[in-house]
Amino acid sequence: MAAFTLYDYVLSGNCYKIRLFASLTGLAYDSVAVDFYPGFEHRSEEMLALSPAGTLPIIVAGEQVMAETNDMLVWMAEQSGKGADWYPVATPEDAANMQQALALSSRLTASVGLARLNAMLDWPVDGAAKRAEGLKDLRELRRLDGCKWLVGEGPTVADIACFPYAALSPDSGLDHDGFPSIREWLYQIRSLPGFITMPGIHALHELRG
Amino acid sequence: MSREHALNDWYAVADANSLKRGLATTKLLGEDITVSGSFDAPVVETTDGKRLPTQVKFDHLWTTLGADPRPLFDIPEGDEDGRTRVPCGMVRVKCSPLRAVENFLDIAHFPFVHTDVLGAEPHTEVEPYKVEIRETDDEVWATKVKFFQPQAAKSAGGGITTDYVYRVPAPTTAVPPKHEAQDIITIFVQPRSETECDVWPWMALYDFETPYAELVQFQQLIFLQDRSILENQRPVRLPLDPKMEIPTRADLTSVAYRRWLKKRGALYGASEGPL
Amino acid sequence: MSTKAVGLSRDLPAGRVMPAHVAGQDLAVWRSVSGVLSAWDNRCPHRGMALSHGFVRGEALACLYHGWHFDCDRHCTLIPSHPDLTPPETIQTRAFSALEDGGVIWVALEGEAQPSDDLSGYKPLRTMQFHAPEDAVGTINILADQPVKTLLNPWGESRTLVTTLIAATASIQAMKDATIALETLRQQVEARQ
Repeated sequence: MAAFTLYDYVLSGNCYKIRLFASLTGLAYDSVAVDFYPGFEHRSEEMLALSPAGTLPIIVAGEQVMAETNDMLVWMAEQSGKGADWYPVATPEDAANMQQALALSSRLTASVGLARLNAMLDWPVDGAAKRAEGLKDLRELRRLDGCKWLVGEGPTVADIACFPYAALSPDSGLDHDGFPSIREWLYQIRSLPGFITMPGIHALHELRG
Repeated sequence: MSREHALNDWYAVADANSLKRGLATTKLLGEDITVSGSFDAPVVETTDGKRLPTQVKFDHLWTTLGADPRPLFDIPEGDEDGRTRVPCGMVRVKCSPLRAVENFLDIAHFPFVHTDVLGAEPHTEVEPYKVEIRETDDEVWATKVKFFQPQAAKSAGGGITTDYVYRVPAPTTAVPPKHEAQDIITIFVQPRSETECDVWPWMALYDFETPYAELVQFQQLIFLQDRSILENQRPVRLPLDPKMEIPTRADLTSVAYRRWLKKRGALYGASEGPL
Repeated sequence: MSTKAVGLSRDLPAGRVMPAHVAGQDLAVWRSVSGVLSAWDNRCPHRGMALSHGFVRGEALACLYHGWHFDCDRHCTLIPSHPDLTPPETIQTRAFSALEDGGVIWVALEGEAQPSDDLSGYKPLRTMQFHAPEDAVGTINILADQPVKTLLNPWGESRTLVTTLIAATASIQAMKDATIALETLRQQVEARQ
């Protein structure tokens, strides 16, 4: 029974957040492929009617239409009945850390995400500037030193929101060489039951041996 | 020196979508060029205003920097009615154009790089297949290539053993030729420099059911999985000395490809010396 | 040629591989499941793929590209495209001397690795990669009023891996303060570039 319809693009890190989280929480969904590149279909009239900002992903669940990735993750956490685990905001600290991490995820999308599109698909942005911003944003994940997860004691939507662009930063030339804590955190997320890959993020073959 | 041979080939530099977006500046064999216009009236120029010859083929715009270019190859199956033609746009990769082609010819990486799509452990064995350099056409061909695959194409059901045929008509193109009703999946590699290229995948498929966007994205998925390998191979330039990188029996196509490049003097993107 | 600090032991759990660097040489440093440490040329002899992207299975490191397995003695033990073949002895990775001391992983490109500093009385704080050359970083003896030891290791032409250790008796708060001071210092050094 599909919980929602996802307007999806296979190479989008933001769309991947939804695909990944659906798999981790066991939510079923229907998928519509949108020809983001090379077709620029996300700028068609039909798509702009759903997402005026012209972004992907888009989720439609009955009357509800969502075009903000983080809103989708929070909605999905509640829909799956696992909101207490994936979106813990009961304490002021958790609530504040959650907001901070979700805000960082948006910055990562804007910096690393665009640097990646520029490096891979020649997107018309200043790649060097975006990479410099991306480096600053990756360094903000320093809270992972000595902490296994971004918020609280287990994986939450904060980790899912920040994961793809942190993992994909090498696509734009931002390697993880100087970030042992980020490498460890990426490994933990890739080890979660139900984890699925996207191009640029390989499966953990060590688990399959 | 290594550029001379490369000058006299045709290279894909645009498709209909990229032309629609207006004037583009790009690089070919280290030289800046501009690309604009349409398939009916294409304009490709060097930065000092020299017009370059163009032709439209396989849904792409091709150009050449050479004075006496070798003819652009044919893909007869690609012109057949009854196929869905899918240009997939461009992906930029910081790798040698020759490494991009060699990766496309390789199947032993399927279980590790395209896990659960084109291959999966424990089905990693590559059975012997046939490779030849066809002297008449001066092309590399590999036939009777078989591999067990969980999900070889968007339209495939469960796992099947897929037959492949590979053909390399020019140093930076890889194409499978006519072999019954086989899907055609190709890449056209535009060398921006010896260490960076724009790859234009193109397909001519027997599939009218799968939504077009899904066909494009399946190919993009596969190629982007390869990109993360290609950008991490060293040396960047493809070594042509067989002592430098150790092949196995599964690498017959790449061994033939490297030998063929050396024989032709197609050295753009290659390194001949030791590491 | 000297031994350099390439990372902290605690940043390399068993069964994992990490990228590292000494004097212009890219490395794949990995730990087998039983804990054996190795430092190799970051290049698979098959098609030149970076081994630091590989995966550890038991006592072998496998390359991500075609899954070739190499054991702790550097020998290729499995070529998945020919599972019944015993790989020739000649197929090997290139190894360098590595050891662990004071919670730090040390590698030497020539000869046996020997820690370049006496670390007694100190414990590891963290590594940090500065986007600046070694002489721009300079010697750091104190952070947030705490005595520290820093081991500098140039990573390429424009980066430096700074491995910092703090007094073994330093409190958690002192370690947090020192980390923040180190980040501030990095910001200053990089701004001057």
